[in-house]
Amino acid sequence: MGALRDLRQETMAAHDKSWGSRMVSKRTVKVIAIGVIVAGTLAAESKKEYHFAVGSKAGVSVMNPYGSIWVRPSLNNTVVVSAILHSDKVEVDNNQSGNRVDIQSHLLPGADSESGRVDYEVLVPADASVTLHSSSGPLHAEKLHGDVTLEGSTATIDVRDVSNAHVHVKTLNGAVTLNNVQNGHVEVDSLSGEVTLTGVNGPLVQVVSTSGNINYIGDFGDSGEYRLTSHSGDIEATIPEWTSADVSARSVRGEVHDDIPLQPKFHTWFPIRAGVAFAGTMGRAAASSTVVLRTFNGKIHLRKRSEKQ
Amino acid sequence: MRPEKKTLTDRRQRRGDELSEAAAIERAKQGDAEAFQVLYDMHKRRVYSLCLRMTANTAEAEDLAQEAFLQLYRKIATFRGESAFSTWLHRLSVNVVLMHLRKKGLPVVSLEETTQGGDDDSPKKDFGTEDVALAGSIDRLHLQKAVESLPPGYRSIFVLHDVEGYEHNEIAKIVGCSIGNSKSQLHKARMKLRDLLKLQRAEKAGKA
Amino acid sequence: MNCIELEESLVESEDGSSREQRAHLSACPACSGLVEELRSIIATAVELRGSAEPSPQVWNSIEMVLRQEGLIRPQPTPRPALSSFSARWGWARWLAPAAAAVLLSAGILLYRASVADKLAQQVSVAAPALDAGMDDNDFLQEIAAQSPQLRPVYEDNLRRANEYIRDAQSAVNEDPNDAEAARSLMDAYQQKAMLFNIAMDRSLP
Repeated sequence: MGALRDLRQETMAAHDKSWGSRMVSKRTVKVIAIGVIVAGTLAAESKKEYHFAVGSKAGVSVMNPYGSIWVRPSLNNTVVVSAILHSDKVEVDNNQSGNRVDIQSHLLPGADSESGRVDYEVLVPADASVTLHSSSGPLHAEKLHGDVTLEGSTATIDVRDVSNAHVHVKTLNGAVTLNNVQNGHVEVDSLSGEVTLTGVNGPLVQVVSTSGNINYIGDFGDSGEYRLTSHSGDIEATIPEWTSADVSARSVRGEVHDDIPLQPKFHTWFPIRAGVAFAGTMGRAAASSTVVLRTFNGKIHLRKRSEKQ
Repeated sequence: MRPEKKTLTDRRQRRGDELSEAAAIERAKQGDAEAFQVLYDMHKRRVYSLCLRMTANTAEAEDLAQEAFLQLYRKIATFRGESAFSTWLHRLSVNVVLMHLRKKGLPVVSLEETTQGGDDDSPKKDFGTEDVALAGSIDRLHLQKAVESLPPGYRSIFVLHDVEGYEHNEIAKIVGCSIGNSKSQLHKARMKLRDLLKLQRAEKAGKA
Repeated sequence: MNCIELEESLVESEDGSSREQRAHLSACPACSGLVEELRSIIATAVELRGSAEPSPQVWNSIEMVLRQEGLIRPQPTPRPALSSFSARWGWARWLAPAAAAVLLSAGILLYRASVADKLAQQVSVAAPALDAGMDDNDFLQEIAAQSPQLRPVYEDNLRRANEYIRDAQSAVNEDPNDAEAARSLMDAYQQKAMLFNIAMDRSLP
């Protein structure tokens, strides 16, 4: 798991650097709404850039079968799409309809996962609603406060610094990382990818996984409803001792551990047996969140966050 | 501003540019799945938001939005274009929601008749929020939360008038009350929202 | 006009623009504050219109019902040469198993506020529709035909999703009043529906 995370961070760092150099050429673009084709280092690789003027709360969607999509906030009410096309077997279709911008990679006959690859960097107003689809990804969105919907097959998905928004993620096998999502309405569905939520709070935070592990590091804040469920994955929640929550946890065939003292509850919907289930309240019950942790075959561990964390 | 070069191959693009609402309605009448989806995409946020604000419950709102669109699609063959499609859909959605509220036994209009008194459930008296001014603009999410906390009777009138833009005479017809009643309920709803927003600010200030 | 009369007058004239209102407001900071705050509420209220996005599940459920009721009929649309996203229409025959999954989820969702036994009953009745091995095999054959290299991945995902369904179903059978077990069964079916949807809809090249 750690190795995977390291690899992902390296990939992202490399990507950052690469995009940084592309940003320089972007400054020279004076005319809005033109497509620019820049010869790439490879004969068949090309770069295209599109600019769209939009209003507040614009909708932006990017559909890209193969390749990465990175979304960051723009400085004003513009959407800037920079695309690296890896061959001439793929085109970028774009459309603006009112306050909505749609971008799609259009595969031509003979395209495969290499030649059909397009890597996007998209700058959007921070309040835009963003929808990203890619089979292979990775998908990344950051520093936004509009709704974010991401869907991938094997794509790794990374969302960070998002507030006051819906964050909906669907993936089959890709790892999902959500970092610093405040006042979010978060729904993550992952079949087998690992899901890591760090500093994710809101009225609803729900993760459903079939075999992926789920890690939650945060404080179950905002008096929200938190449901972390997996069939065969492990669930680990690391929270500070002052967390205020009504917690119930159950593993049907696995184990359950809690390092934090809970006020026990006696009226639960499942039999409380040490080692496979616990239910209780921690902190100030009046302002507490509801936390449900459930797995069939995995382990559940409620950890106390050390002061250093 | 539009890009100079456009490749018109995207399905969504075709949907947006070529399939106008009128064309989508005609194609939906022929049973075209894509046309149904185009119409849904055009109106889903407005319909769902209406349902959500009126019920303050995500699951109910999704069920009601689904029901509103299904009712519409079942009747789409009879749509002749005399009135705007969106007007038809929104009115139908309002009826679906009101029917649902009535089935649940919730008041569509608050039973309180006067503008004075009867405000014992007003939060300001319990929490002493009088001193907190709502300086500056009000955040949409804060207002949204406050609307969710309104009693259902007040909520309906507020959503219909201030959010959806219906006039009092239309509201009176839709919910079956007098115009005066609609006006007084709206005023009380706004006053309650003001209290709830102040309460939010006071709590936030208390936490900080 | 005193402060009480001013507030009462706002029922009929909400913006405080009548002559009497203006006279009072110019001399009363408290009431002018009130009018300003109400104006802010009214101005922000418009932003709530169309501000929420329904979950994709809503359209899925609508589409399935429309097909079931025959309102959506097959169209003579030629399949594009190669487009991953338009491939969904070539996968129309895949709608049957996926429809079962999505409809089932929708059916369960409709009942989620109801009592647990009703929920469990609903789930138990509908569950065999998806357990049919035929559907799964057809699904995998279609995957293999489209992208042979992806078949093992989808086969593995499908097996896991089916295990989830089986375990959740057992839990519901064990205790039909266990709302959380019923919820798990719904989650399990939704996971399988997601697998079908992603394959069918857009992720397969």
